Amino acid sequence: MNDELSVVGKSLPRIDAIDKVTGRAKYGIDLKLEGMLHAKIRRSPYPHAKVTKIDTTKAENLPGVRAIVTIEDVPKVVEYWFFLRTEKKKKQMFIHDNVVRFIGDPVLAVAADDEETVEEALSLIDVEYEQLPALFDPLEAMKETEVKIHTEKGNIAFHVTKQYGDVEQGFKDADHIVENRYYTSKQKHASLEPIGSCIADYDPSGRLTVYSSTQLPHWSRMYLAGALDLPINRVRVIKTYTGGAFGGRCGLIHGLEVMSSVLSRKASRPVRMSFTREEDFTATETRHPMIIEMKTGVTKDGILTANSIKLVSDVGGYGTHYIGVIANCLSTGVGLYRCPNVDFDATAVHTNKSLCGAFRGYGNPQMNFAQESQMDMIAQKLDMDPVELRLKNYRGLGEIDPVFNDEIRSDGLKECLQKGAESFGWKEKRSKSSAEGIKRRGVGMAILVHGTGAAKGLPDPASATVMINADGSVNLVTAAADDGQGNRTVLAQICAEELGIGFEKVSVSDTDTDSTPLDGGTHGSRQTYCGGLAVKKAAEEAKKKLLGYASQELNVDDGQLGIKDGVIYDVKNAATTIRVSDLMRKIQIEDMSICEQPIGHAAGVAPAMPGYFGASFAEVEVDTQTGEVRVLKLTGAFDVGKAINPANVQGQITGGGIMGIGWALTEELITKDGNILNDNFTDYRILRASDVPQLDSIIVESNEPTGPFGAKGVGEGTMVGVASAIANAIFDAIGVRMKELCITQEKILEGLRSGAKA
Amino acid sequence: MAKVNINVGVNGRWYELAVEPQERLVDVLRDRLGLTGTKVGCGKGECGACTINIDGKAILSCLTLAVQADGKEILTIEGLQKGAELHPLQEAFVKEAAVQCGYCTPGMIMAAKAMLDCDSDPSEEAVREVLSSNLCRCTGYDRPVKAVIEAAKTMRGAK
Repeated sequence: MNDELSVVGKSLPRIDAIDKVTGRAKYGIDLKLEGMLHAKIRRSPYPHAKVTKIDTTKAENLPGVRAIVTIEDVPKVVEYWFFLRTEKKKKQMFIHDNVVRFIGDPVLAVAADDEETVEEALSLIDVEYEQLPALFDPLEAMKETEVKIHTEKGNIAFHVTKQYGDVEQGFKDADHIVENRYYTSKQKHASLEPIGSCIADYDPSGRLTVYSSTQLPHWSRMYLAGALDLPINRVRVIKTYTGGAFGGRCGLIHGLEVMSSVLSRKASRPVRMSFTREEDFTATETRHPMIIEMKTGVTKDGILTANSIKLVSDVGGYGTHYIGVIANCLSTGVGLYRCPNVDFDATAVHTNKSLCGAFRGYGNPQMNFAQESQMDMIAQKLDMDPVELRLKNYRGLGEIDPVFNDEIRSDGLKECLQKGAESFGWKEKRSKSSAEGIKRRGVGMAILVHGTGAAKGLPDPASATVMINADGSVNLVTAAADDGQGNRTVLAQICAEELGIGFEKVSVSDTDTDSTPLDGGTHGSRQTYCGGLAVKKAAEEAKKKLLGYASQELNVDDGQLGIKDGVIYDVKNAATTIRVSDLMRKIQIEDMSICEQPIGHAAGVAPAMPGYFGASFAEVEVDTQTGEVRVLKLTGAFDVGKAINPANVQGQITGGGIMGIGWALTEELITKDGNILNDNFTDYRILRASDVPQLDSIIVESNEPTGPFGAKGVGEGTMVGVASAIANAIFDAIGVRMKELCITQEKILEGLRSGAKA
Repeated sequence: MAKVNINVGVNGRWYELAVEPQERLVDVLRDRLGLTGTKVGCGKGECGACTINIDGKAILSCLTLAVQADGKEILTIEGLQKGAELHPLQEAFVKEAAVQCGYCTPGMIMAAKAMLDCDSDPSEEAVREVLSSNLCRCTGYDRPVKAVIEAAKTMRGAK
């Protein structure tokens, strides 16, 4: 079916690239509105305290100060959009109290004419606190009953158990059992545009407009409506250009939009608030650190018989996505392997550390690190090639994923493994690994599956409108939020392909909740698939109307008409044609009895959340004297169903690859007594151009039958297996099993000293 | 505090400005001249997003005081185009899909511009070294590196 594609499958330049290379693209902090005020937050210096008194008198009298908002005035958003489903749940989304729960928790904010006045005003406000005992260790917080971080819930935010099969029997059937405890680190999104920039403009007639870099314009609009008690149609969210998100903007930013909106309401002026890099590092969401105990049983032939997973997720002071993240640990943890007997027990625990939320992979990287380390140990025990062990056990085509009870309809994992191994040189490199010398090389691999979208677990709508203009050009209206992935370009490609017109004929609307229909936002690798399905369907509808008019015009049955390169033609008589532009001018303007613009619209939920597969291969060199680990080569092979824009897909594979290397080796927010010690790019080290190993990105296309032109997701999965592959490669190099991320030089040296073998 | 008068050439036009002694050049460019193509990613010289050219050299405008630019010629991303025509570096970043979120892009291009003005045929290693001053969280760097090498080729061809 894909043989004749003319737009889909091409690495076309993205529609926003020229704006970005010329400096015209406006990000949140670049915007200015007439009469705009500047605002800033004053944050808690204590990890856990009650705010007992705030005296703003002196600040109020400072010339230039226009509004002050305090913790007393605003609710905090502490859940995600699953809670919008019922009135009762919606109430739980917002808490309104005088307690601060981590160092950096917003206490108040000031809006003034300029930034200097804001700073001065903030320093003039007296805040009194009653300090409360703080909890930093999730395992202690779980047991603690006296100190409650959240009054009603206590410290356990969420606990769930799930059983599949009979795990006890499964362990009885096993010839080998591998049991370990894994720790994962607190990673920061570190998008180049700091998280936390918006303008709130509350006009006196009671309409709120917020310019925001949110990944979820429509959900964010509903969060704001709920937090500020406004009808949804009185809130307008306009998405600005966004300097990377990776899950860090998956909703509202703690304190940002709500405080700015209330300041704007009080001042009757637009208010801009932009967090600094330090605020981004210390007071916006991070990846959940997890402690995962995993016990895996396997027969001597390498068939998994049982898996028992006990997981503790450190949520920090507030949660938003903690339930979804655990649900994803379950679905990816249980979904990847055809293991009949699984016990899953997970607890999300509050501590007085900075808050956690969504982050590329959404729990899957943590689970994958544990699971794929286990698999590596099993392969080693059985003296089996790790690739072969995966092939024996992964859940593939036609099988049912037990968590969502959904069939796997496309499966390119074998091809990922084969092409990945070949390109990486897996067999050759594996035979050459040696445990001699100061610098030792080793190789490791991991596989993964990640869901596309969230249709089986969350409200997950997508919609699109396609309007064909009088000159044959097309406006595509969608709220799909592009944070840099290029999804708006991909949607334009899908639209052009379906309509049989050139890519340059399609322009994509701004992302504005006033003029675009409901969309679930950009998360869960969903826009190409969920957004793409809606766009394709809307284009189909517009095309149907277009061909209806062409049928009358050409006197040919519309089932017999096709469109290519903007020309409508009779498939049985190539000489009978009409240009889309000629037909449209006639229908919309020339014939005054019609004057109709053909419009197609589609809305709804995707029929599935197809898993996309991937394999990561890593080669490392470990210096046994310094503990330094260098990644020499990283190969990522991903089954994306169909690459609508191959360059974009490769960009995800390489970008996710180095984010994964960072998580494995260098990236960890270090907290001491609730303080984040490394709130800058010198101490929190993401990879630079000179640190990057040879990166191979391989695209596999398995043609997902439910997807637009066969496509499914890719974005999040690209970082999921990287740390697992690196840890396995380190074991191959030095015989030391690293069970704790990130893998610092100190941990390598300690491992070598104590001979921490698996 | 008393303001200081400076003369700066920005993208081919000279401005006489009264600036605070502690005012950062990046703020003058962004807030006073409206040149928001120059980005701020960290404010302390770690990320490179604010890279501009001063007298042909790549400079971090967040670590430069406006007064230090007195009498100098500044080039920002907005000054790179000739009319509607993109600079070969801009062209190459578009063509090679070297742009994702785009927040690091102006800084990268300006760092590369200063490099190519001195070395018209840099090795891949040299390009990587120069771009190591510019953090990018999206691309994995391979495509930006390739874009700079391709742009160098184009620029050599045009001479």
